[in-house]
Amino acid sequence: MRLSYRYSELLPSVDALAGVMGYLPGTAPEPVTDLIAGLSEELMTTGEARAEYTIFDHVKLDPLSKTVEVEGVVFHVKPIVFSQIKNAESVALFICTAGSEVDELSRKSMKEGDLLRGYVYDVIGSEVAEGAADRMQESMKTAVASSGMSITNRFSPGYCGWDVAEQHKLFTFFRENYCGITLTDSALMDPVKSVSGMIGIGSRVKYSPYRCHQCDDKNCIYRGKKNR
Amino acid sequence: MIPEMTEILERISTCVELGKVDIKSPYPPAMKGQEGAFELTRLALDEGVSPGDILEKALIPAMSRVGQKFSRNEIFVPQMLMAAKAMSSSMTHIKPFYLSGETKRRGTFIIGTVKGDLHDIGKNLVSMMIEGSGWEIVDLGVDVSTEKFIEAVEKHPGSVVGLSALLTTTMENMRKSVEVLKNRFPAMKILVGGAPVTEEFCRKIGADFYSPDPQGAVEYLRTLT
Repeated sequence: MRLSYRYSELLPSVDALAGVMGYLPGTAPEPVTDLIAGLSEELMTTGEARAEYTIFDHVKLDPLSKTVEVEGVVFHVKPIVFSQIKNAESVALFICTAGSEVDELSRKSMKEGDLLRGYVYDVIGSEVAEGAADRMQESMKTAVASSGMSITNRFSPGYCGWDVAEQHKLFTFFRENYCGITLTDSALMDPVKSVSGMIGIGSRVKYSPYRCHQCDDKNCIYRGKKNR
Repeated sequence: MIPEMTEILERISTCVELGKVDIKSPYPPAMKGQEGAFELTRLALDEGVSPGDILEKALIPAMSRVGQKFSRNEIFVPQMLMAAKAMSSSMTHIKPFYLSGETKRRGTFIIGTVKGDLHDIGKNLVSMMIEGSGWEIVDLGVDVSTEKFIEAVEKHPGSVVGLSALLTTTMENMRKSVEVLKNRFPAMKILVGGAPVTEEFCRKIGADFYSPDPQGAVEYLRTLT
């Protein structure tokens, strides 16, 4: 399934973006809120985020090795992710991106010495990528609901103990790469503002509000973000 | 120092702390239309204040206060970047004195994001804070190979090196770079940072210092000079 979203559908409010930067509602300095508003406006008309997912019905879940096998490719998802996916009957693999434009604008601003502008583009890119992943997940949830199925949270290599190097395995399923994402040797996605991963599907799986305490990465930059 | 000189240094310091770049800067609103760090630094130099005094008595204390506020979550990244911009505008007048040798830096700090990693915001923040504390910055950018770090250290003997990483995979490249750099330059101090990096990891790979925020790095560097 291939999906695309205009930035105008995904951009959070100025207050919400300021909140991501640490500010409580109404406390961000004016130059910051003005810049967020200006850059959001600029990207709203041109920006496009893309997402793609494929559902695989024949998967093998091994509780001993905590692995998920999809078409012969074995993902070592580790105990935390496995515990959430173990009852799945199918899995969806997905990739999603805020696109290269916001990345390039951020890098260009940084290079020109306008670090604040570069930072604001960067935050917008992160939120749009996550927003696109949320929308894709909603669409998947609706699609499987008609057959009485539910979905789990989305899980990405690099989080909850799942080795980020397994991105390389994941990307073998997206050879045509509608999203235009490439991987570096170190498994970094380019555009950087991209999300990839796995979602469990089944009649006995459930979506839980995100719980950072389930994850063992105490230094994760997103830690606690969804709970704030 | 005569009171007028002290007053102008205090004004420069306030401008940097609050991110008042120049007279055109509308922020903070209470200072709208007033001279900013750029004009006041020029004025101070014209009035005979030494560039060293501007650095030591205005810019460094201002950036130190900014770093402390950030550590205490009283301000966030955008305000830190605004302060850094104000500092940079002041530094445009100070830099020629560094080049002429009239004013000395505290040292040279080489910084880069390790091989395979393209993230640079954290690195840039640390660079600015360290520059604001009187160090010359050699920014090697992102995706920096160990060889590139070595070349920079050979070009700037006696420097301190900072390595940044934002991915668990590139932490491995950080380990390799630190290992090679320490073997080649045993006396050189190496700082590491980035979201997944920890104190424990720093010790394990043989780096000298880890801080979760830029101010920690600034304070550590102060102990070296």
